[in-house]
Amino acid sequence: MPLVKRDPTAAPPPSQASQGDLASHIAALSAQDAGTRWSAARALGGRADAVPALAAALGAEQVARVREAIMTALMRIGDAASVVALLPYLRSQDAGLRAAAIEALQAMPEAILPFMTSLLGDGDSDVRILATELARNMPAAEATHLLCGLLEHEQHPNVCAAAVEVLAEVGTREAIPALEACAGRFVGTPFLPFAVSIAVARISDTES
Amino acid sequence: MARSEAHEPRAVQITQEDVRRLCEFLYRRTGLSFADSKRYFIDRRLAERITVTQSASFQAYFAILRSDAEHEIEHLVNAFTVNETYFYREEHQLRCMTSSLLDNVVRGKKAGQPIRIWSIPCSTGEEPYSIAIWLMENWSQVDSYNIEIVGSDIDTRALKAAADGVYGDRALMRLSRQVIDRYFQAVAADKYRIDPGLRNSIQFTRANLVDAQDLARYRDFDIVFCRNVLIYFDDASRRMAAENLYDCLRPGGYICLGHSETMSRISPLFHVCRFSDAIVYQRPETDHDGN
Amino acid sequence: MMEIEMVSTPRVRILVVDDSSLVRLYYRDALEKAGFEVEHAINGIEAMEKVLAQAFDLLIVDVNMPRMDGFSFLRALRRSAREVATIPALIITTEAGEQDIEDARAAGANFYLVKPVSEADLLRHAVVLTGAST
Repeated sequence: MPLVKRDPTAAPPPSQASQGDLASHIAALSAQDAGTRWSAARALGGRADAVPALAAALGAEQVARVREAIMTALMRIGDAASVVALLPYLRSQDAGLRAAAIEALQAMPEAILPFMTSLLGDGDSDVRILATELARNMPAAEATHLLCGLLEHEQHPNVCAAAVEVLAEVGTREAIPALEACAGRFVGTPFLPFAVSIAVARISDTES
Repeated sequence: MARSEAHEPRAVQITQEDVRRLCEFLYRRTGLSFADSKRYFIDRRLAERITVTQSASFQAYFAILRSDAEHEIEHLVNAFTVNETYFYREEHQLRCMTSSLLDNVVRGKKAGQPIRIWSIPCSTGEEPYSIAIWLMENWSQVDSYNIEIVGSDIDTRALKAAADGVYGDRALMRLSRQVIDRYFQAVAADKYRIDPGLRNSIQFTRANLVDAQDLARYRDFDIVFCRNVLIYFDDASRRMAAENLYDCLRPGGYICLGHSETMSRISPLFHVCRFSDAIVYQRPETDHDGN
Repeated sequence: MMEIEMVSTPRVRILVVDDSSLVRLYYRDALEKAGFEVEHAINGIEAMEKVLAQAFDLLIVDVNMPRMDGFSFLRALRRSAREVATIPALIITTEAGEQDIEDARAAGANFYLVKPVSEADLLRHAVVLTGAST
């Protein structure tokens, strides 16, 4: 029979992997070889004292899969320091880096909560748009409160649209006045009145 | 006997908009989508889950679902899918393996290098045995290579059943009489056991997809079947599992997911590959191979 | 009685790639009303799966999506097999600065529009980029 039984667990463990101390993994984050940097990032997942090194590595890293691994490592740490390390990437010119940062931050709804008001009031409309996504994984009451706060003052149609999108999923009845007011401010413009009508229908037509 | 009205729970109202919200959430989270004609089917399953979770309203249930409390997403998705396991399930992927994937796999092989195939999770073994049987029945080059098939699962009871290799009629329903005769022995009415030669050719191990330490020794796999498990993991676990699988694959190695699963909800690490029988995913050959 | 043979022209197929459900709904309503057949995807990876599995005459692709953004998707698409590499693509950006237009062109977009997109603009571009007759 051409089938050969071989037990992978009988092999000696690979020499690299998660052996080694913090310092050696951190040093490996700037190794020449992408595979080494990848393994280093993975080994540092969950290690809160690695956040500064991971944040610095993220800024310098060109290889996509290593960037992903660094993001995952920060996500697994998930504390305020990781959030602070990831926030600057919301302003990146690189769409891929912005998307990756948002994905990592979305997995930390508790850690990101203290930053939400400031992110939703950021001077950069793209940052405000990305911030609305972060409300999606929060409890309905919290998300509704944050997004309605944004809608009350927001002038930029794309930011409003992003908030309406998230409210269509998580919004409670409390959101309806802010949504309707928003549609009123943008009457006659493309998309927003449509979006608000859908969101309001989703929210209203449900038993409380 | 008359039913006692006092114990009948008030039926929770589910509106069209509720169903739309739910479908949008499921689509975003898992990639599953439902044609309008299937909406009635959703209503029933949703009503069941609302009852089981003792939710007082759709809103209350949706909150449970969104937070994935008690793995509710898994329960809901399971309610929509048929989860029976049997031999030659998702045969089109097995066909893809022999008609497309293996040609690419062997192209890179030096003399004596084995082909490594992994079924994780392997559950009670139908999948790894199916892979073995399919290869022997359908791959013209099967005798030219050493083929190492590993079946792993986190559930040791399932692994024990897999090693025992005993199955009922239903599990064998897709197999021809000839195949059953070739690889199984009838051991009781409605009980067949995989021949010892085949049983002893598959390695079963306990492994946790999300644990990089567990998987550190699993390397250089050419094809991994990782079906119907990643769809249920939360975001962080999916990323971990995807990174672990990446490390376990040889560059250019392939992953096959469940038929309603998609890497678009899991990880950007893999290339999408279209073959005539299936869409599979590939670890890039190099870091600059794309992107 | 004279029999009239109905010749059904295959409908022009458009893939809308945007992670916003409301945007997808908005574009779908407008495009279907105009006679297009519409499919959707939530990010570049799903878009790649659909493009490899089904024929499309036009891709409408948002830039900002999780897991694989619009530019990355277009770059990957243009490197793929010929049948899919040449599908016309309309990219939807949030800004119209020089860099964004240059990025759109470099990624392989045929044209771009700036959000929020009106029905009229969307349909006009869909018609032009697919050569569909109105």
